[in-house]
Order: sequence, then structure tokens, then C-alpha cells
Amino acid sequence: MTARRWITVLLLLAPGLGLIVGMIGMVVYIAVAQSFGLYNLNGESVLTVAHWAEMLDRKLYTRAVRYSIYIGVWSAVLSVALAYPLAIWLRKPFRGSITVGAILKAPLLVQGLVAAFLFINVISFHGILNQFMQGIGLWDAPRRLQNDRGAFGVLFLQTWKNMPFALLLLTGAVQAIPDDVLDAARDMGAGTFARFRKIIAPLSLSAMQAALVIIFIGAVADFSFQVIAGPTNRQSLAQLMVFVRQTSWHEAAVVGVTLMVIALVGSLLLAVIARLLLRGPASR
Amino acid sequence: MTQARINSVLMGALLIICAVWLIIPFTMAILWSLVDPAQPWTPDNLLPPEMSTFRWTNMWENSALKPALLNSYTLAPTTAIVTLLLAMPTAYCLARVPFPGREAAKLLVLLPLVVPGFVTAIFFTAILFQLGLTQSRFLAILFAHCILFLPFAIRILTVSFEQVRQDHIDAARDLGASPVARFRAAYLPALRPGIFASLLIVFIQSIEEFAIAFVVGSPDFTTVPTLLFSRLGQDFIRPDAAVLSLILVVPNIILMLFLEAFLKSANPSLSSGKA
Repeated sequence: MTARRWITVLLLLAPGLGLIVGMIGMVVYIAVAQSFGLYNLNGESVLTVAHWAEMLDRKLYTRAVRYSIYIGVWSAVLSVALAYPLAIWLRKPFRGSITVGAILKAPLLVQGLVAAFLFINVISFHGILNQFMQGIGLWDAPRRLQNDRGAFGVLFLQTWKNMPFALLLLTGAVQAIPDDVLDAARDMGAGTFARFRKIIAPLSLSAMQAALVIIFIGAVADFSFQVIAGPTNRQSLAQLMVFVRQTSWHEAAVVGVTLMVIALVGSLLLAVIARLLLRGPASR
Repeated sequence: MTQARINSVLMGALLIICAVWLIIPFTMAILWSLVDPAQPWTPDNLLPPEMSTFRWTNMWENSALKPALLNSYTLAPTTAIVTLLLAMPTAYCLARVPFPGREAAKLLVLLPLVVPGFVTAIFFTAILFQLGLTQSRFLAILFAHCILFLPFAIRILTVSFEQVRQDHIDAARDLGASPVARFRAAYLPALRPGIFASLLIVFIQSIEEFAIAFVVGSPDFTTVPTLLFSRLGQDFIRPDAAVLSLILVVPNIILMLFLEAFLKSANPSLSSGKA
């Protein structure tokens, strides 16, 4: 490539890719720098690890780290585990399969905050679920289901919102598996589970890894579901970051960098574990 | 049990689940938005004792709904158009100009999707403070939204640019067409579905984006999602939240269905923009 051609390429990439790399690079750089005391917005900048030491010592922080990882991992695993059988079921068209696919994908059209509102409407103290349980005589009085301590409400919402996305990715991958491969396996006596384990899973591994990673990153950094439906005695990392920013940008930066590191490391780990479990061929 | 029978049993089960999953929550939201304040909806009634559109008119007249709608519906189309213009050159380059490292460049485009939204929002405001650019929240959110949604636009348009046929371009050039005429004759027909899809997808994403709008916009710049969040948080008023939820979700569903139908007719492989 000539110098002139390189300049053309760079000029073409500048408004799109250039802006992305510049802006996200700056965001990451500022977050890391602020977590070490630089770019102080209210005074003198001092390079220090004090903010890290301070946060790592706080129970609030360690609980938020544990809690966010718990939400991220379970949201990703549950969404993918539910989407897989549905994707396999919808692999070959049958009467009504398009309608089924459309209904299953409907939550993709519902904004997260709206989903949270619809959900708390159903489970609230005098929501329809409490009315129903009392109506059939199982419960004597309404029960408090909102903001439960195990964060099942948040996990339900995350799965409700993300399962269709996993389904979208997995359906494409599963439909691409040729019929004759599966027929051959069936003829050789492979049962349903063996066919999944030895053929479908390895051949749809990269779609599954993509689904796991994208859902994990979204769920680990959840803010709105947590604030609306999550347990009141714990904070997610995003919530903690917004909360501590009111007092210290540097401590917020520590939480922000933690969140990025968890998103990155967690994604890699999930992808690797998925691959080891399924022992599939390399991603294609 | 035959495959068809299994399918029909599964279909029945699925329809029941979907009723619980979708119809009940939305029906509840519609009912809550119609509760008349004179007659509260108590748990002993299955339906609200008195229904009226009071909440809708009240929200329209006495809340930040009007400015929020105006903000959201100014921001989203502007974001869609600016993002499209910014994405075009990069998409053209990634699709039609071979250069070393092109695959890496395609991966780098996805960067904004990898960094969690709230981290981007918080440290984008830090950058704004550093640069002293806090005068226009609208422009700040617009800029951040463009960066955030560029990956979608670039990805969709790259696929479109790949579908432009070289012989059409060559034929137009051989017949002496000017660059503009060449673009209109050879590029535009192949690009049209991608342009349309990119505009729609970015529009929908911008309408419902919460993290940036909340962190950069607060306290004085509201969009429909941030207004809904405030109504779900400290001043939780269920009927008002129901009104806002429906306002936020209905145009979205209509636009998405429109997008799906349009893409299926134009180019099935682009469906949902995740091609």
C-alpha cells in the first residue's frame, strides 16, 4: 500500500472508527487516571493508590462486586439455557413457528425500564399475583415480593429481557447445521442428548459464546433493574458508582475500572468455560 | 407421540406462558393508566371501580412529559442522521477498500458495546467537565449517542456497501457518469435498505437509551426514559408510571414491526440489524 492510499484509508476511517476509538479510549483512560487520583475536578491532582485502598477496604464495595458477578453470571447462563431448547425446537419450520418466534422475540421491543415497571405491577403488594394466590386460597394475606433479598426479581427481569436476544443468535446458528449431519448421528444411534452434546453444541458454540458475553456485560453493569426491583440492602456496581460519585469522583472511578475489568475478565472466562464444557472445535 | 403432536402441545404451553409473560402485564399497565383518582383501585376489586382518561390528560398538562417528548423526539432523529453520516465513510472503507488490519478494524468498531453503558456515561461527563463543555446538554447527549450507536450503523452499512456490484460501478464510469450520478446509479439502490435500517435502529436505540440521558442530562434535561425512571423511583405514582410506560413502548413496537417487515422485503439477511 502506498502512503497516499494509507492516508485515504485513515481519512475514511476517521469520522466513524476514529471517533469510536478516540472517545472510548478517552473514557477508559480518564476512568483509570481518576481512580489513581489524577484529573481531580475539585482540587489538586495527586498520583496515589489511596482511593483503591479505601474502596477495597469497604464492605459496600466487596458486596457490590460479589453481587454484580452473581447477577451477571446467572443472567447469562439462564438466558442461554432457556434459549437453547427453544432454538432447537424452532430449527425446522412448522405450522405456527413464525408466530411462536415473533412472540418469543417480543421482549426485545420492550424497553428495560418499562419491563421493570410491568414486572413490579404484577408482583406488587396488591398486584395480580398476590390477588391470584389469595384467590385460590394458597396465601392468607398478601406477601411482599418486590425487592427480594435473593435478587430473583432482577434475575427474572434480566432473563425476560435477554433470553430473546440469545434466541436470536442461537436460532441462526442452529438453523445453519445441515440436516444430513443430524440424520447421520440419529442413524448411528445417537440419542437426543448425545446429538445436542456432540453436534449441535459444538457447531453453535461461537453464537453461544457471543450471547453469553454480551448478556453478561449488560447484566453485570445493570443499574435500572437493580434500583427498581433489586434488594434494598445491596448495591450493584453501577448503582454504587453513581452513588459514590456524589462524594468522590476518584472512588467512582475505582468502581468504574472494577466494572470494566470484571466485564472483560468475566467475558473471557465465560467464553473459555463454555468451550471447555462443550469441547467444541475452535470458533469459526 | 408424533412430532406434530409434540409441537401442538408445546404451542399450547407456550401460549399460556406468553399470556402470563406479555398479555397480563400490559393489560395491567393499561388498566392502571385508566384508574380514576376519585375511586382508588383497591386489591379487593379485579378491575378499577371507575375508569377515566384523567391520568393521561393530567400527565400531559402537569408534568415534564411535553418537554421530555420534545427532547426525545428531537434527539433521536438528529442522532440517527448524524450517526448515518459519520458511519458512511468508515463502512465504505471496511467494505470496499482492502487494507492490512481490516478485520481488526471491524472488531474495534464494536468497542462501545464492550464498555458498560454507565461507565461510558459517568466518565464522558468527567471529560465534559475537564473540557468545560457543559453548556449544551443536548449536544453532549447527541455526541455520546452517536458514538454509542455507531457500531450498529457501521455494521449494517458495511454489509450494504459489500452488496454494491463492481460491474455496476464500472458500467456507470465507462458511460461517463459523474461521481454523483455514479453514486445514484450504482450505489444508492444497494444502499437504500441499509440506510433505512440504520436510521430506524439508531432512532429506536436513542429513544430508549437511559444511562447517558440520565447521567449527562440530569437534572434539567429530561427524556421519556429518565422521566419514567423518576416516576418509578422516589416519587412512585403507579398510574403515572403506567401512562409513561405505554407512551414509551407503543411507538417502539410499531417502529420495530415496521423495520422487521421492511427488512424482510428488502433483504432478509439484514433482519434485526444483527446480520
